Amino acid sequence: MDYRVLLVEDDERIRQALGLALGDEGFDVVESASGEEALHRLDTDVFDVVLLDLTLPGLDGLVVCKALRSRADLRIIIVTARTDTADVIAGLEAGADDYVTKPLVASELAARIRALLRRRRTDLQHAVYRMGDIEIRPDEGIARRAGADLRLTKTEFRLLAELATAEGRIVTREQLLRRVWGYDYYGDTRLLDVHIRRLRCKIERDPDAPEVVITVRGTGYRVDRSP
Amino acid sequence: MTDRRRLQLSLRWRLAAAFGLGSFLLSSVLAIATWNLSSGYLLRQREQSAVRQAEVNARVIDEEMRRGGEGLDKLLTGLTTGPDSTILLYRPGELRSSGRQIDPSVLPPRLLELARDGIPARQRLVVDGIPVVAVTLPVTAGDVYYVELSPTLQLDRTFRFLSAVLIAGTVVSGLLGVALGAWAGRRALRPLTELTAVAHRIAGGDLRSRLPERADPDLAPLARTFNATADQLEQRALRDARFASDVSHELRSPLTTMMNAAAVLRRRREEIPGTAGRATDLLTSEVDRFARMVVDLLEISRSDQQVDDRSLEPVDLGGLVRHVLATRSDAAAPEVEVDPCAPLVIADRRRLDRVVNNLLDNAERHAGGPVRVAVLRSDHQVRLEIDDRGPGVPAELREQIFERFARGTQAGSRGTDSGSGLGLALVAEHVRRHGGRAWVQDRPGGGARFVVEIPEATTR
Repeated sequence: MDYRVLLVEDDERIRQALGLALGDEGFDVVESASGEEALHRLDTDVFDVVLLDLTLPGLDGLVVCKALRSRADLRIIIVTARTDTADVIAGLEAGADDYVTKPLVASELAARIRALLRRRRTDLQHAVYRMGDIEIRPDEGIARRAGADLRLTKTEFRLLAELATAEGRIVTREQLLRRVWGYDYYGDTRLLDVHIRRLRCKIERDPDAPEVVITVRGTGYRVDRSP
Repeated sequence: MTDRRRLQLSLRWRLAAAFGLGSFLLSSVLAIATWNLSSGYLLRQREQSAVRQAEVNARVIDEEMRRGGEGLDKLLTGLTTGPDSTILLYRPGELRSSGRQIDPSVLPPRLLELARDGIPARQRLVVDGIPVVAVTLPVTAGDVYYVELSPTLQLDRTFRFLSAVLIAGTVVSGLLGVALGAWAGRRALRPLTELTAVAHRIAGGDLRSRLPERADPDLAPLARTFNATADQLEQRALRDARFASDVSHELRSPLTTMMNAAAVLRRRREEIPGTAGRATDLLTSEVDRFARMVVDLLEISRSDQQVDDRSLEPVDLGGLVRHVLATRSDAAAPEVEVDPCAPLVIADRRRLDRVVNNLLDNAERHAGGPVRVAVLRSDHQVRLEIDDRGPGVPAELREQIFERFARGTQAGSRGTDSGSGLGLALVAEHVRRHGGRAWVQDRPGGGARFVVEIPEATTR
């Protein structure tokens, strides 16, 4: 199955080389040279993933990212030459699902895209997990607090689903990175930290004193089923 | 030089000592002057009053003697003014005394001689342990003369008190001088202390520190000059950082193009026959090596800059090592030994990852692969050991191999698979950044043992 990828990159040579290589990896790549053009295309066309450069002329990558965040079915991967922690966190806070830093090879990017788009299969049919007044149905894509939709993004939902299905057992950071983002093993957990923070902002009463998603120091996270 | 500096008092204390000494000298002079004036005055007063008293007494005795002298003894007793005063009346062949009894021979002969010669005299004496003023007067011309010893105990007590007050005052004023000097020194040096603090902060990396603007004409130029220098330094640091970031960006972009173009070429290698094909192989493999080198170079130049605290977290080093080993495609898996207590370190996982990977790469490249990887705890340090069975590292190269672009003697022995030349330098940098150190030693039984020690995270 061909995934449709929108590649937003202002450097023409990178755009071409990455486009060719991703094409070789079996993706249907559409190239776009600016943020405005990308937003325009997304209005008229359907894509699975947007590969977004942060340094764009005109409309900045972060602005484009924020504009796209509301689209539930679209995954955003930031492709950036900025490697500072501050930049990475800013990108993730703006709503990206993942990020890769240049220089990168198409095969690595392809693996990342596939992991992000892979639907998780569970053997449990119509399972319901409850944590206090929060209810999540991983198969149906439903996460609610007291009956009201929590409006989680796909990545946040998968993160919560992974933690919920462990039913209070500890899920390590590496397990989460592998299951949610498809990282084989990659030491960077800033990605996870930012998503956990975003998730807590949506599900915790006080994100600074989390009661549902509990940090296990040095290891990972677990859910408290009766906060 | 250090000895001299140890002997030399600090500026503040020298100032305090000078103030103290000055104030001590000044108050000493004042005290001595006060002493001389007041003691002289009091003494004169006392002597004059003793003389006046003696003159009156001598006149009364004179009258009594003219009347016949029957009541002389009674009169003498009545004239003594207190238990400590003594009156002596020398008459030819007779000495009458009243009041405190003393041995007349203790009186200086010269004094008595003067009296005998009809000359009034007075002298301060100590008689039987009591200070007195002795006054001698002739009573009638010729043979009878009168001696009165009046005690000056009260005066002496006054002198003692006065001297005690003056000495204490001098000492206190000296001490006050020291205190004033110390205070003034601290106050005068406060701008210098501030300057030191700000310079220290700047040296510590806070380039935005500045001295406060001052109205004081003595200090304003210093603050202005210092701040201008700090401004320049900050600008320069910003420029450097921007340049490093630009370089990073400018290098990463074409590298991305090259790597992906190379990936396409490699995938379509069959389509390129003959010489062009071989050239393509060379090109693609060199692109990979070049990319690795650039990435390492950017990483090591970035590690010269400040560490971002946000990337620090507690890391289970044993777990991290196991994960790294699980993702590698090395020929033989090494023996793994991890302390059962799961030692934690506060670290940037990505950097630690690089440390472990680079050490494993190094063993793989130069020594036929690691044979043992251990994570141990000792004395608040977490210790990582990576052993190989290679030729080992000669003692003279053990420091050098951790330097940038240093290559071992075996470098290139594996043909195309040579590293960036920065692997161990990155290890050293990253470990240093975590407050630890890295070194190489002999492995018992042959080969090299690369050791990394990082302080253990304190629990909670």
